[in-house]
Amino acid sequence: MIELIGVSKTYGGTVKAVDNIDLTIPDGEIFGFLGPNGAGKTTTIKMITGILNADSGTIKVNGIDIKTGPIEAKRQIGFVPDSPNMFLRLKGIEYLRFMADVYDVSPKDRAQVIDDLVKNFGMEDVLNDRIQSYSHGMRQKIVLIGSLLHDPSVWILDEPMTGLDPRSSFFLKEMMRKRADSGKTVFFSTHVLDVAEKICDKVAIINKGRILFCGTLDEMRNSSKKDETLEKLFLELTENE
Amino acid sequence: MSNKTLLLTRTLIRNGEGFGIKGMKNKVSKVLFALMLMIILPGLVVMFSFFVNSAYSALTAIGQEGVVISWGIAIASTVIFLFGIFYIAASFYFSRDVEVLLYLPLKPRQIVGAKFLTAALFEYLITAAVFLPVVIIYGIRSAAGILFYIYSCVVFVFIPVVPLCLAAVLVMVLMRFTNASKQKDTFSIIAGTLALILGLGINLTVQKFIINMNPQELEALIMKGENTLALLTSGIFPTARWAVSALLDTVTTAGFLNLMLYAAVSAAVYILLLFLGEMVYLKGVVGLSETVSKRNKQNKTEARDKFLKKHSALRTYTMLELKLLFRTPIYFLNCVIVNFIWPVLLLIYMVMGTEGADIQGTVKQLMNNPDIAGTIFLFGIALFTFVAGFNGTVSTSISREGQELFIKKYIPVSYRTQILAKVLSGFILSIAGAVFTLIAATAVFKLPLYISMLILAAGWMGMLFISFVDILLDLYNPKLDWDSEQKAVKQNLNVVYSMIISSIVGGLTIYAALQFSPGFIAAVLSSILVYGVLNVLVYLLLRKKGVERFGRLEG
Ligand SMILES: Nc1ncnc2c1ncn2[C@@H]1O[C@H](COP(=O)(O)OP(=O)(O)OP(=O)(O)O)[C@@H](O)[C@H]1O
Ligand SMILES: [Mg+2]
Repeated sequence: MIELIGVSKTYGGTVKAVDNIDLTIPDGEIFGFLGPNGAGKTTTIKMITGILNADSGTIKVNGIDIKTGPIEAKRQIGFVPDSPNMFLRLKGIEYLRFMADVYDVSPKDRAQVIDDLVKNFGMEDVLNDRIQSYSHGMRQKIVLIGSLLHDPSVWILDEPMTGLDPRSSFFLKEMMRKRADSGKTVFFSTHVLDVAEKICDKVAIINKGRILFCGTLDEMRNSSKKDETLEKLFLELTENE
Repeated sequence: MSNKTLLLTRTLIRNGEGFGIKGMKNKVSKVLFALMLMIILPGLVVMFSFFVNSAYSALTAIGQEGVVISWGIAIASTVIFLFGIFYIAASFYFSRDVEVLLYLPLKPRQIVGAKFLTAALFEYLITAAVFLPVVIIYGIRSAAGILFYIYSCVVFVFIPVVPLCLAAVLVMVLMRFTNASKQKDTFSIIAGTLALILGLGINLTVQKFIINMNPQELEALIMKGENTLALLTSGIFPTARWAVSALLDTVTTAGFLNLMLYAAVSAAVYILLLFLGEMVYLKGVVGLSETVSKRNKQNKTEARDKFLKKHSALRTYTMLELKLLFRTPIYFLNCVIVNFIWPVLLLIYMVMGTEGADIQGTVKQLMNNPDIAGTIFLFGIALFTFVAGFNGTVSTSISREGQELFIKKYIPVSYRTQILAKVLSGFILSIAGAVFTLIAATAVFKLPLYISMLILAAGWMGMLFISFVDILLDLYNPKLDWDSEQKAVKQNLNVVYSMIISSIVGGLTIYAALQFSPGFIAAVLSSILVYGVLNVLVYLLLRKKGVERFGRLEG
């Protein structure tokens, strides 16, 4: 579970990227975070994961305040950043080893990961290559695998779908579903409304740093008159600002 | 020169390529940079001027004062050439903007031209520092006419062209034909090490030459036509000859023709470079980020076994730092290799002729005097601080994170552990360098073993102190906004500050050694005490302020 209460962030004293938002992301549901470019999605996610310090407000992950218990809070989270271009000079397996050590993963769980996750993402043949030689999608997959090594109870993904092939994208969606169904938190940002419509239990729509809507898709449809597509609703909501 | 080339040049410069001042956000670092430009650089220039001035006197005695000018041009050309190799490789091939430039509607020669001009701009700083003192001193002392200064201006403009073109040609051809780009890391490591050795060799030759300089010998050398430096220039940069002839003979038409020839040939070389760029640049650059992947079974099970073993966060983090240092060519050269230059230098001095033997003899004599052991010990300690301060490992360890710093903020490792891992990785490299230096020193100076061991046993504290200071420097003034690794270490002022600080600390140690010439036991105990206290103090500062600072860094 993630709770944000009155959280704001201003970049360089001028750009108010996130403006006093309240948001609760419950366990056991897939939660989609939607909004146009520059709405503040990445900024919000960076504050939850401890990359940025919020200017004001409180952020709690599984009840742990990220300010007062940063290490413990970070342990709860598996994070997939929006750009997978990192650690390019490491081999895939070295990256996983680093993450496993850092997140304190037991040898037994490591074996499980190799035999399960790595196989399912079709990465076993390239684990010994430098990440530099990976395609965009392969880089994403290695980061995805790295984020699940410690079987986190909160999974946060920033734009995870772009660049994945159909099989991997399908597998990713399945993973999200499985984790949510087993009572874990799944929180991801996306532009792809079709995907959101298909897999999210709940969505929040953010624009210019403010939450415009938060609730289930049905609630969203009910709030407007007709049975519209999410795309239309999205456009309406973000236009009237 | 097309408009597009100039437009691109302007964009590159505005983008911060070259000086890296743009990247400095806060005022403090700008002020410090300005201070450095105003103090250090002039200091070097003044020292060089004194040298030129006395050389002028010595050379006048044999009527060969013109040699000063050919030296000025030779030194400037050589330095530009050596810097150029790195600069060109980084800017032409390994800079992140290359990929963007490739899909803009630009001709290869426009990219090459613009990048070349940007590089040249940077090299004018070097040219100014070396060539201007020579011109001014020669001009004043030979009471040269206005024409001399005008000619000098023209020469000044063209000095960087040929050496830089040569560097560019070398790099471009290598990148294209050795298929180097496919193995780019390996290539740059080898090329860089070679360049470094070459630079060191030239440096030593020049030093030996300068040290040995006395009028008679010099005269003999010049008579024999064995002027090492002049030979070097005319060998590598034949065009420099015309510049020298022009400057030494400003009155006749021959001089003017030489000047014109110099300018014309330089321009022609530049144009040739553009043609070559058109032909080979793209082929070298495309597919640069390709790496060869070898997929074999045996590695696989081995890697798997390794993966299954669990290690502490501190250890794995330190190993990560070291891996990246060894695998990134620019880091390897600037952070790893430099540690091992010291022992090499010492050994070269030993094998090389007279002055090495003299030092050796003197030290041996000194060693027989038991009163001096304490002083020798303190010299060793000072050497350790130099070794720690002159490699940029710890002082760039935050900067090197660059855009990837955010990763270090979301992993569940305390900032204290992360800082320690960074200090540790640099410290390990320094210690390795120091051990080799000590072995070399022990061999060269025939140091008694117990002194060497004690230097090692106490010297690490000095290294640790410098490392702590270095990371504080980088935490407070990191350079995170870079697009080529070059900028993270080579254009990082923290490295310079670290050198200055370690020189001061080491210098004070040497001063204390000479001033008080303490007994051996006193020297050992007091250095352990002083460095011990310093370490505790700076560590406490790091634990409080450094960790806070890391928490506040936001990529
Ligand atoms: N490092 C930064 N410095 C200054 N402003 C920033 C920075 N990062 C983001 N911003 C600004 O903050 C606002 C929100 O950006 P953010 O990255 O959170 O948007 P986003 O919703 O993730 O957009 P996208 O869908 O394009 O990923 C934008 O106006 C952006 O310009
Ligand atoms: Mg984003």
